[in-house]
Amino acid sequence: MVILEVNNLKKVYTTRFGGNQVKALSNVTFSVEKGEYVAIMGESGSGKTTLLNILAALDQPTSGEVLLDGRNMKNIKSSEMSAFRRDHLGFVFQDFNLLDNFSIEDNIFLPLVLAKNDHKTISEKLSPIAKKLGIEAILPKFPYEVSGGEKQRAAVARALITSPLLVLADEPTGALDSRATDHLLELFTKINHEGQTVLMVTHSTKAASHAGRVLFIKDGEVFHQIYRGDMTTESMYQKISDTLTLITTGGLQNA
Amino acid sequence: MHKWFYTKMALGNLGKNRKIILPYLIMSIGIITMFYIMHAIAINEGLASLPGADSIITILFFGTVVIGIFSAIFMFYTNSFLIKQRKKEIGLYNILGLEKKHIAKMLSIETFFIALVAMTFGLLGGMVLSKLMFMILLRLLGFDVTLKFAVSGVSILISVLLFGGIFLSTLLFNVGHIHLSRPIELLKGGNLGEREPKSKWIMALTGAMALGAGYYIALTVESPLEAIFIFFIAVVLVMIGTYLLFTTGSIVVLKMLRRNKNFYYKTKNFTSVSGMIYRMKQNAVGLANICILSTAVLVSLSTTVSLYMGMEDVLETRYPHEIGIMMPGGIPEDHEKVNEMVNQLVAEKNVELEHFNTVRTKGFPVVVSDNEFIVDLDKGFDFKMNFVQLVPLEDFNILENSNVELNEDEILIYTNLEALGLESIVLGGSEFQVKEELADSLLEPKSETALMMNIYVVVEDAETLHGIYNTIFGGDDQTLDYITSIDVIGTDEAELAFNNGIYGGVSGFDFDIRADSKMLSKDSFLSAYGGFLFLGIFLGTLFLMATVLIIYYKQISEGYDDKVRFDIMQKVGMGESEVKSTIKRQIVMVFFIPLIAAIVHISFAFNVIVKMLALFSFSNISLFMVCTAVTVLIFAIIYFIVYALTARAYYRIVQ
Repeated sequence: MVILEVNNLKKVYTTRFGGNQVKALSNVTFSVEKGEYVAIMGESGSGKTTLLNILAALDQPTSGEVLLDGRNMKNIKSSEMSAFRRDHLGFVFQDFNLLDNFSIEDNIFLPLVLAKNDHKTISEKLSPIAKKLGIEAILPKFPYEVSGGEKQRAAVARALITSPLLVLADEPTGALDSRATDHLLELFTKINHEGQTVLMVTHSTKAASHAGRVLFIKDGEVFHQIYRGDMTTESMYQKISDTLTLITTGGLQNA
Repeated sequence: MHKWFYTKMALGNLGKNRKIILPYLIMSIGIITMFYIMHAIAINEGLASLPGADSIITILFFGTVVIGIFSAIFMFYTNSFLIKQRKKEIGLYNILGLEKKHIAKMLSIETFFIALVAMTFGLLGGMVLSKLMFMILLRLLGFDVTLKFAVSGVSILISVLLFGGIFLSTLLFNVGHIHLSRPIELLKGGNLGEREPKSKWIMALTGAMALGAGYYIALTVESPLEAIFIFFIAVVLVMIGTYLLFTTGSIVVLKMLRRNKNFYYKTKNFTSVSGMIYRMKQNAVGLANICILSTAVLVSLSTTVSLYMGMEDVLETRYPHEIGIMMPGGIPEDHEKVNEMVNQLVAEKNVELEHFNTVRTKGFPVVVSDNEFIVDLDKGFDFKMNFVQLVPLEDFNILENSNVELNEDEILIYTNLEALGLESIVLGGSEFQVKEELADSLLEPKSETALMMNIYVVVEDAETLHGIYNTIFGGDDQTLDYITSIDVIGTDEAELAFNNGIYGGVSGFDFDIRADSKMLSKDSFLSAYGGFLFLGIFLGTLFLMATVLIIYYKQISEGYDDKVRFDIMQKVGMGESEVKSTIKRQIVMVFFIPLIAAIVHISFAFNVIVKMLALFSFSNISLFMVCTAVTVLIFAIIYFIVYALTARAYYRIVQ
């Protein structure tokens, strides 16, 4: 079953005084099946973040369409948009985006409280997730009291607590050390095995090597993709590495 | 390096930071203008030459000192805000290669420009407006004269010295501050990992107790003389209470709300309560300042306006007749001389006598215990004391135009405050039957706010009176206090001549006597009360300016803090309309709490202020109530406008 369908997406930024036009995305088409773990890779400036912002409905495409769960996002009224986003999408950001005035627990509760759930329901939802992510001990602490890895796990918990259709992760390992990175990537693999669909944007080969499929974006287009098949993470890493080398040196274009 | 490099840089910085520098500059100009005006008027020679101007000059000098102190405190306060906002910028310069001495140079040039502009415009504004203010003051004082008013060199000099000094000290403070911090600290600026504030129960309880005690004292004070001493104690207690409750009490309450899970995990309360905990940590002192300044504005304006508007009443209370002549310890022969003098003046100055009466009394302090009037000569002065005024029946009957008869052991009794309700009294060892306690009398009007209770005891005749007095005090005193009241009818000029004649005549006698003319006292009343009003409006405006600026800076600094927070909330699924309503709820709470607290303060202060106003013979409570209500209303409207304007600045930052 297809959860996310992206068709001929195009995004052109116009500079403030209307002079220059910058094409961030020229023609992006791909789809994500339920239960998939997809990584989108590309260099800085390749349009990754623009794509993610459009998928998250934080930005509007110039043309093309995004269908989430069969609904065209363009047709969702702006008044319903935040509710829609809240119910269907979970977000994990590079810089965690935890609120420093909430405890870790309250940070995780935030989307559910915004969705007007009562305290009993939300605390019931929290305990299995907190257990799975190993953050039970830090729940009453505040963001400034815990490590980066713990913050990111809390952010993952916040993304998962609404049981979203799709988790969007934007460079989730970008601010973490290697141990915390490994830990987090294992977590993503684990939740993916439990059926959670994940779409991750990254330029870390290591992060991408955990995914089931890797899409490469260059100059605003999907340039290439790799399926994991039954490859190990190590050989996946090797293959991504090779592909990146080819893209940067321009070899693949001629292949 | 080019020699204008730093100047260019400084000017560039000022331009880039205009959002926060401009209000600071405008406020500095305003303060300098006000200081100059106050000082220039206070030292004006023309004013000193006017009759009864002594009190107004004292008041104006007092005002100058208050403005001076206040400006120093306030400019430091805003400066510390400015430098906090600019930490990041300065840290960046430091990292890009400017040494600290270069930064100091740049800051010095900046301060120089700010000081130059502020002083130039402030003094120009002062020179232009001082003439207008002076005319307004003269009108308030009731002087119908035009006085020369020139630019005052002394005032300019003093203003430049004072404010130059203040600007210099802020600069030194900033340079010292930057010198002590490392560039990385500066770069991180305000957003160092913020700790959640702790609940400080003891402080919060102390605050509540201080506030409660202040309120209790203010509510229960009874005697006006006590009120003046106690007012300052109450003010200090309430100030301590306000600061403690804003800083710690708010946190305690908010944390209690947070512990209530069913309340806390509601969409509305969730973001507000936790947001408020942080807001209160950063802003409690600022909000307490706003609250206290607002209270100061309200108190100074409502009292001075009431005093000024109620002046006619005050004159009426203080001077029931046009002229009062008091001859303490007098004898009949001297009294005859006074009568002669008055009659002669009536003929001479061409006025007609409307009322001319003398009451003889003998007064002494007593303490009333049951029905006994105890005289204790060794005891010092006490607020609980009452004054007994013995009056012979003859004088009472003439005054009241009545023909009451009394036996030797009978008396009439009357007080200027509440009735005593006694059937008999014991005075000087003898018991007297109260034939009647009068509900009203021309001896003295009833009052609710009189400083002391006067108990008039009307006795059979002067002989009885002397008998009582000499039994108590021993000796053989045959003198009496002669209190003469006069009303005349005539043209204004004739009346003025008559009043002056009485003053002249009285000063010619060789015995103890003095006269009080309503007409001639009015000027000194106008001078004092007009001066108070002028000062009240002036200080009120100053405090208001300070309040406005604090509100503005609060909105801006909170805007930058909250922007990050609301961005995140929008990302995790908060709608734009929800963001807006959350923001609105928070800033409404934050900015209207001080106003509400100020109004509560002033309501509790009402009693003690009324008592203090009684010292100025002001007893028109309903007038004071109206003045207070109107002042509060106007202030609330201004406050609201300021809030609305600055809230726009806030929204622009957040969105």
